[in-house]
Amino acid sequence: MLKVENLTKTFKQGESNITAVSKIGFSIKDGQFVSIIGKSGSGKSTLLSLLGTLEKPSSGSIVIDGEDVTKMSEHELTNYRCKSIGFVFQSYNLIPNLTAIENVMLPLEFAGLGKGKRFERAKQLLDQVEIVEDKQTRRPTRLSGGEQQRVAIARALANKPKLILADEPTGNLDSQTGKKIFDLLHNLARSENTTIVAVTHDLSIAGKTDKVFKITDGKLKA
Amino acid sequence: MDPFKRGVKNVLRNSTRSVAVIIILSLAVGLSLVMVVARQSVDQKISSIKSSVGNTITIAPAGFSNFSSLNNDLTTSQLSKIKNVDHVTSLSESLSDRLTTIGSSQPSFGFNSNSSNSTNQTSLTSPVTINLNNVRRHFFNASGSSAPTNFSLPITIIGTNNPYQVNQSTISITEGKIINGSSDNNNVIVSTSMASKNSLKVGSNFKAFNSTLNVVGIFKTTTKALGNTIVVPLSTLERLTSQSGAVTSAIATVDTSNNLSSTTSAIKKILGSNADVQNSQQQANATIQPLQSVKTIAVTSLIGSLIAGAIIIFLIMLLLVRERKREIGVLKALGASNVKVIKQFTSEATTLTLLAAILGIIIGGLAAGPITSTLINNTRSNNSSPTSFVQRGALTRQAGGGFAGPRFFSGRGFGGSLRANLLNVHAEVGWSIILYGLAVAIIIAFIGSSLASYLIANVRPAEVLRSE
Ligand SMILES: Nc1ncnc2c1ncn2[C@@H]1O[C@H](COP(=O)(O)OP(=O)(O)O)[C@@H](O)[C@H]1O
Ligand SMILES: [Mg+2]
Repeated sequence: MLKVENLTKTFKQGESNITAVSKIGFSIKDGQFVSIIGKSGSGKSTLLSLLGTLEKPSSGSIVIDGEDVTKMSEHELTNYRCKSIGFVFQSYNLIPNLTAIENVMLPLEFAGLGKGKRFERAKQLLDQVEIVEDKQTRRPTRLSGGEQQRVAIARALANKPKLILADEPTGNLDSQTGKKIFDLLHNLARSENTTIVAVTHDLSIAGKTDKVFKITDGKLKA
Repeated sequence: MDPFKRGVKNVLRNSTRSVAVIIILSLAVGLSLVMVVARQSVDQKISSIKSSVGNTITIAPAGFSNFSSLNNDLTTSQLSKIKNVDHVTSLSESLSDRLTTIGSSQPSFGFNSNSSNSTNQTSLTSPVTINLNNVRRHFFNASGSSAPTNFSLPITIIGTNNPYQVNQSTISITEGKIINGSSDNNNVIVSTSMASKNSLKVGSNFKAFNSTLNVVGIFKTTTKALGNTIVVPLSTLERLTSQSGAVTSAIATVDTSNNLSSTTSAIKKILGSNADVQNSQQQANATIQPLQSVKTIAVTSLIGSLIAGAIIIFLIMLLLVRERKREIGVLKALGASNVKVIKQFTSEATTLTLLAAILGIIIGGLAAGPITSTLINNTRSNNSSPTSFVQRGALTRQAGGGFAGPRFFSGRGFGGSLRANLLNVHAEVGWSIILYGLAVAIIIAFIGSSLASYLIANVRPAEVLRSE
């Protein structure tokens, strides 16, 4: 259960203030797939970074499973991000000089998993997202966009998070590959009962999700 | 793959840049090492000079310029008061003069006043010659072509009441016996080189001051400057040169070094402006001073190159952090703590620095000797006589006057033994320099990356979602 109340984020930009997220409130049940749509600059990424504890809100609360993450210390947040949240980005954000499997092993390492177990789990995840063995030891530059995003999804799922946050995960892919990635995300989430919040431009994708939030100028219009 | 391995691996990401950084850093490391070695060898030299300083006070006539002005000489009556000064345990007095070979036509070189006297001649030939091709040509004012290429230094004759200690050098008899300093006979001892040059043996005779002198012993000393020296009892030389009661220098020995400066003042009081009084401590200090400045240069450069190295590492870290801002954001979003990210970047910096250290150790090892000797030689020539020939002149004057100062610059003295020290530098470029190199590298990497750590900690994880 994810409950957001009165969430506001204001950025100082010189003299003026930009309110990127304004008094947003909603709740999402466990295992739900929610999409966020809205124009560029409307505050979607900012909302996602607040939900992902990458950014502290100016006011408001985010309660996940009864715990207010806005009140956590920096150290607790690091831990929380590691174990409970998975990120998928538009530009994949794989570490360029690490192989696919090494990228997937990263969050496992941060979670303190032993070396042997890391490798096993990463391999299993890559198999799951259908990255063949030969490609598991390739660097990101030698993988296609769709393959890179699969690796990124495997990485997001590594520590079995309760919540996956995806910022335009299909934005850099052709529509066919995009659909495949979306289905992959959807199926994996369903089998693990993971909550997903995904920002998307693709209305055909958004139409298939459990809930759609539309954001305009930082405000939620359900 | 852990933060450490990732850091090492990241060095290869931009290998051209890494190589450039390693080369620049290695110069900083190398320079640091050179300065460590320079400081060490200078320190060694200073402590060896300090430990060799005796408890002696040198007394010379005021404005002493060797053979020029006899009327300035000290007198035995003045010196007899010094014997009674508290803490003076002994006083060796000496008178010196020069002799030229009978029938030789020597260029005079400026210090010819009383040696042009026809009695200042001997049947001996000086064993010390100077090759004039090594001497600055303009020293000869007239036609350089007519100047002889080999010039024999005049023979120095020293009359002393303490033949065991001549000009602060300990004499050891290799053949025959030592002369009696308080007698007035014509017995002499000659240096080994003088003996071999003139085929002198114990029992041989030779002529000087129109008298016949008997060789009773042959000595060797640690100081080359005494190579062209004949030593006779003090009274004998006073008689031969008709300078009754004259002394050109005296050396007082003090019981302990603690009393050295007070005794020096006491002696100065007695002699007033008649004499230059300097104790061995002051002489050593004069010698140590240029070394101290080398040491200062070395320490300053060491600190400078450490700072330069740290700045280089800091700047490269700054560049890396800015360049990989998004990547740092990714790591933090995936749950990496600040410590883990800092560890990764620090090990990258450390790898660069260690590679630079290896190169720097090689550079430092090769450059330590030449740079140290350049530093010391430059300092030396700034602080001593301008030309080698004048130094040689000082050397003979010193042989007469007993000034210990110039002695440090002669033969096996100051410059020579420093150069000898430098030969040992290479022996020291062993394990210790490698340890120093590693220490330097670690200091550089530590300072450089702790500054950068602050930047890393400040990278916001939300950076990763920026301008997607
Ligand atoms: N770190 C920041 N500092 C200042 N302004 C920001 C920052 N992040 C986002 N903004 C501003 O907040 C608004 C919303 O941005 P964003 O959430 O990225 O929009 P979207 O993802 O919907 O395109 C924009 O006007 C943007 O310029
Ligand atoms: Mg956005």
